[in-house]
Amino acid sequence: MDIGVHHYLIVSAVLFCIGLLGVLIRRGLIEMYMGLELMLNAANLALVAFSRFQNNLEGQLMVFFTITVAAAEVAVGLALIVALYRKRKTTDATDLTSMKL
Amino acid sequence: MNWMLYSLEIVMVLTGLGILLLDLGTPARGKRDLGYLGAFLLGLLLLQSVFLPEAQEGFSLMSSGNSITAAPGYTLDPFARYFKHLFILAAILVLLMTVDFADRLRHGVSEFFALVLFALAGMSAAASATNFITLFVSIELITVTFYVLTSFQRDQFRSLEAGVKYLILGAAASAVLVYGIALIYGATGSMDFAALGKESTGTAAQDYILQLGLLLVMAGLGFKIAAFPFQIWVPDVYQGAPAPVTAFLAVGSKAAGFALLMRLCHHLRPDLQALAGTVLAVLAGLTILYGSLCALRQRNLKRLLGYAGIASAGYLLLGLLALNTRQGGPTASADGCHAMLFYLAGYLFAVMAAFTVICHVSRDGEDEDLSILTGLHQRSPLLATVLTLSIISMAGIPPLVGFLGKFLLLQSALGALAERGAHLWLIIAALAGVVISLYYYFGILRAIYWGNGIRTDEVVETRPPIILPPTARLTLIACALILVLLGIFPEPLLDLSSRAVELFR
Repeated sequence: MDIGVHHYLIVSAVLFCIGLLGVLIRRGLIEMYMGLELMLNAANLALVAFSRFQNNLEGQLMVFFTITVAAAEVAVGLALIVALYRKRKTTDATDLTSMKL
Repeated sequence: MNWMLYSLEIVMVLTGLGILLLDLGTPARGKRDLGYLGAFLLGLLLLQSVFLPEAQEGFSLMSSGNSITAAPGYTLDPFARYFKHLFILAAILVLLMTVDFADRLRHGVSEFFALVLFALAGMSAAASATNFITLFVSIELITVTFYVLTSFQRDQFRSLEAGVKYLILGAAASAVLVYGIALIYGATGSMDFAALGKESTGTAAQDYILQLGLLLVMAGLGFKIAAFPFQIWVPDVYQGAPAPVTAFLAVGSKAAGFALLMRLCHHLRPDLQALAGTVLAVLAGLTILYGSLCALRQRNLKRLLGYAGIASAGYLLLGLLALNTRQGGPTASADGCHAMLFYLAGYLFAVMAAFTVICHVSRDGEDEDLSILTGLHQRSPLLATVLTLSIISMAGIPPLVGFLGKFLLLQSALGALAERGAHLWLIIAALAGVVISLYYYFGILRAIYWGNGIRTDEVVETRPPIILPPTARLTLIACALILVLLGIFPEPLLDLSSRAVELFR
C-alpha cells in the first residue's frame, strides 16, 4: 500500500481529537496536561508529514520550535502543579473553585 | 546578521538578565529599586526606538548606510514600531506599579521585573512577525512568561488557581494554534503570511484544509485577545493574578494578539477575507454582549474590569471588519486599523491608571470588592480623580480619549457594514453594549462617592487616608493628564496612528 500525506493527516487528526477529549473529559491536572502534549504532537506530526511530502524544510524548522516551547511549557506547568499540590494536596481541576462571581 | 532589526528586543532581554545579575549584589531592601532602573532603561529604549531607521523590504545581505533590511519573518515597519512604543510604555508603567506592589510579592521581586521584560520582548517581537514561526515563538514567549507572572503570589491560593487555569487553557490554545499553522502550511507550502494572499492553485480539498487552518489560527489568537468563546479564562485570571500582571495582561498581551490578527487579516486573499470577516463579525457581536452582560453583576473590581476588557476586545474586533471588506477599498480598511490603534493607545493609559489605583487601594490578600473604594475621594482625592477619569475614558464619554476611540471604531464598522449590509444586528449589539457599559462603569463611580462602606463582618470600617509614594503620584498624574489632553487634542496621536497604518492603504 502506498502511504500518502493524507494517511499521516488522518493519524494526526485522530491524535489531536484524543488529546482534546482528554483535556475536556479528564479532571486530573496531570492527565489534562498529557492530553495537551498529545495535541501538540499531533500538530508536529502533521507539520513533518507536510514538510516531507512538499520537499520543503520550513515545516521541520517549525517542529523544532514547537518541541522546545512544549518543553518550556511543561517545565513551568509541572512546577505550577507541584506548587498547587503543596498548598492544597490536590491536583484535581474540580477543586479549583475559590473564585466564583 | 542584521542586529539593528532586533536591537529593541535584544536590549529588553539584556535588561532583564542584567536585573537578574544585579539582584545578586543588592541587599533585600534595595531590590525593589531595580524596578526604577528597569523603567529608566526602558525609557531610554523608547527614545532610541523613535530614531531607529525603518526596515527596507527585500533581502540584501548588506545593510546600506542608515537603513535596516527586513529579515524573512521579521520586519520593522511603522506599524510594528507603533505597537513597540505602546508595549514599552505599558511595561514602564507596570514596572513602576510593581515597585509599590513589591511588599506583597514577598519573594523574587527582581525575577518579577525580569519576567515583565521578557514578556515585553515577546510582545515586541509579535508586532514584527510576518511569518507563522515568529508568530508562534513570540506568542509563546508572552504566554509562558505570563503563566509564571500570574501565579507569582504563590502563597495565595487564588493566584495559584488563576495560574493553573491560565496554564491549561493557554496550552490548549497554543496546541490549536500550532495545528492551525500546520494545516495552513500544508495547504500553502509556506510559513509566510504573504502566502495566504496568493490565488488558490490547489484542489478543493486543499482549500478546505486552508480554511480550517485559518479558523484554528484565529481561535488561537482569539484566546489571546479574549474574544467570545475563548474568554473563559479571563475573569478568574484577572481576579487571581497580582494587579500589575493583570494590567499588563489586559493591555500588552491583548494588544499583541490584535497586532498579529491585523497583520494576518491584511494578507488574506478575498475569499478567505470573506470567511474571516463573517466569523469576526459574529465573534465581535457576541463578545460585546457577553462581556457587557456578565460585567453587570460583578462585585470584584478586577473581575469587573476583566469582563469590561472582554467587551472592549469586541469593540476592537469591529475595527477588523473594515479590514475585511475589499469593496470598501483600501482606505476603509486603513480606517478600521487606524481606529484600533488609536483605541488601544487610549485604553493603555486608562487601564494602567485604573490598576495603579487598585494597587494602592487594596490591601494584601484582600478581595478587591467594590466596597473598598468607599469614601476614596476623602481618603485620597488624587486616586479618586484618576480612577474616575480612567473609568469615564473606558466608558467612552467625551471629552476623554476613550470616547474618540470608540467613536472611530463604530464609525469604521458602520462604513464596512454599509458595504455588505445585513449586519445591522451587530451595530445594535455594539450600541447596546455601550449603554450597558454605562451602568457597570458608573457602579464603580457610585462605590467611590456614594458607597456604603466595607462589607466585612457587618461592621462599617472607616479606613485611614492613603499616602502615596511620589513616583506613584507622578505616574497617576501623567496618566490622567494624557487621558484628558489626548481627548481634547487628539491630533498628534491620530497622526501617529495613521502613519502606522500606511501599509494597509
